[in-house]
Amino acid sequence: MSKEALKELIFRLAQAAGVSGDEAEAVEAARAELAQYGKTRTDALGNLIGEIAPFKEGRPHILLDAHIDEVGLIVTGICDGGFLRVDNAAGVDTRILSTADVTVHAKEKLFGVISAKPPHLSDAKEYKKAVKLTDTYVDTGLSREECERLVTLGDRITLNGVPRETASGRIISKALDNRICCAAILRCLELLQDKALDCGLTVLFSTREESGGQGARAAAFGVDPTHAIVVDTTLADGVYESGCHYEIGKGPTIGYAPILDRRMSQELMALAEENNIPYAIEAMGRGTGTNADDIVTTREGVITGVISIPERYAHMPIEMADLGDVENAARLMAAYVEKIASRT
Amino acid sequence: MLNSLTKNIRTLTELDGASGDEGRVREAILEMVKGHVSGWHVDALGNLIVEKKGQVPAKNTVMLAAHMDEVGFMITHIEDHGMARFVTVGGIDPRALLGKRVRAGENQVPGVIGYKAIHLSKDKRDEIPEITDLMIDIGAEDKEDAEKVIVPGDFAVFDSDYVEFGDGLIKAKGLDDRAGCAVLVEILKQEWEYGLCCAFNVQEEVGCRGARTSAFAVAPDYALVVESTTAADFPGIDESQQVCNLGRGPAISFMDRGTIYPKDLVALAFDTARERGIAAQPKRAVAGGTDASAIHPSRAGVKTLTISMPCRYIHSQASVLKKADIEAACKLVGALAQKLAAL
Repeated sequence: MSKEALKELIFRLAQAAGVSGDEAEAVEAARAELAQYGKTRTDALGNLIGEIAPFKEGRPHILLDAHIDEVGLIVTGICDGGFLRVDNAAGVDTRILSTADVTVHAKEKLFGVISAKPPHLSDAKEYKKAVKLTDTYVDTGLSREECERLVTLGDRITLNGVPRETASGRIISKALDNRICCAAILRCLELLQDKALDCGLTVLFSTREESGGQGARAAAFGVDPTHAIVVDTTLADGVYESGCHYEIGKGPTIGYAPILDRRMSQELMALAEENNIPYAIEAMGRGTGTNADDIVTTREGVITGVISIPERYAHMPIEMADLGDVENAARLMAAYVEKIASRT
Repeated sequence: MLNSLTKNIRTLTELDGASGDEGRVREAILEMVKGHVSGWHVDALGNLIVEKKGQVPAKNTVMLAAHMDEVGFMITHIEDHGMARFVTVGGIDPRALLGKRVRAGENQVPGVIGYKAIHLSKDKRDEIPEITDLMIDIGAEDKEDAEKVIVPGDFAVFDSDYVEFGDGLIKAKGLDDRAGCAVLVEILKQEWEYGLCCAFNVQEEVGCRGARTSAFAVAPDYALVVESTTAADFPGIDESQQVCNLGRGPAISFMDRGTIYPKDLVALAFDTARERGIAAQPKRAVAGGTDASAIHPSRAGVKTLTISMPCRYIHSQASVLKKADIEAACKLVGALAQKLAAL
């Protein structure tokens, strides 16, 4: 897969809609890419599961997981003039909402603008605060009747973060968290496709991570792996002096944490060194804030690791990442799978 | 008329033209009007001034005015890590900045206005960062990489496409005042009994600067400023605070922060609207200012009126107008200009 093809894949996945609990469109976009590598199925929670190499008795069974849901809003009411009342459905950064444009996934996709009180009506203090969701409306430009015909309470809303490529080849889009990680897994499968793997390999594009990890918890029980690698995004905000140390363009991060398997973390690090894959160590004190926290205690336990891809502006419509980091995450995963597959 | 108006609004709003950088917009407007005017020139500041002859000589010189510039940004400094500090050009609500896309520099490269992620903002999760905290990020590797495509002094504008949505609404950047420019273009494309002048002005957003020199050059008897004005017609805002409403036609000002409008002109505008069955509403607040503030005291004085299209989310990446209001504004301004020419 060329860099251009990887970029196009990421944009295809990222532009699909899939707010937590309503991931079907994103799942279909991912299924179209996953199906070439194995049989796909979905479960009761909408998780997309791909059986790449069959489970073999006595051999490791590796699960590669990336959550497919994105942050968004949810419709809670319809007002006169076609304005919708909304709430956060899992983690949108409310500081970006004022005058942002969105898509309401109703009976049709509706364009909307998040309304904002104009300056002449705001006092000095209000300027400094993000709009409260209770004071926020999505302006659909339709009549109330039209809205009532098309919109159902509970419909999800995605941020319109259209894709752009920067002058230096970085990528911008909504939902890079976590579609770049879904893309990294797909690229990993491409790297492995001609290899005979003496282990089971299953891919999970899990739902509902942003709302608490329910998707992965259930899917991991169903898949019953021995090993799992969770791929998620990590924050790259070094320039803003936020205490964050990671940056885009310097490779993926390898997680170290009490709940993760230390031997796996070390193996990932050794593989990165051997294969000249740039990386950073992401050391976390308790949980990881990813699906790993839920997968590790599935059934009788799963040997679990985390590979993260740094991105800027998490949970805003302008997330930014580096294609090289996606490629390197894919290479690292592929190296690990090959190593485990050959282990006797 | 409406199709031609919206086509031109799409073209003009998708061009980059912050105050002081209106060249691309001026070129496009010239292309649109060249075949329909008897003369044009560009003055030292970049204003485009055009004359259109009528079928008979006008008693009064009437000037229609709209401004070509939009609010935007200027890059002030590029940090070692390759992100850029910036200031706004024209007034932009600080709450409308974070998380928006921009295009920067002569090369119009994609960028974003960013800040540290919410996860890292701890106790400041609902605070809007100051403009001095934000940076324009074009995804450069470092300062040297950034300087290949942007330098301090470069302009940037919102990266926002023209979209038609809802019940005849338009979302775009720069509807203030590219919609006004499009109205003037549409008027110039028609044949009129009395001739008129149009001034496509520069630098309105930074103090109505262009309007000073174009008004001096034209020296009109009457001027009509075609603008967009803020509409706060949403839930939770009292009727008295909404200023004006989408769908009720152009808003006619009686007073704003820069001009007190002549009562007879205001009345004539409403009479004309009524006669022709054109929707019109009063602008229900004394707020904002327009090129009228520079035009009406020009030379020995000019009788001036401002007619504005109601615009939600003005000065943001997603300003919104209603098509019916644009068409009504076009009809009203055209008709009123003829009346003033013959008064």
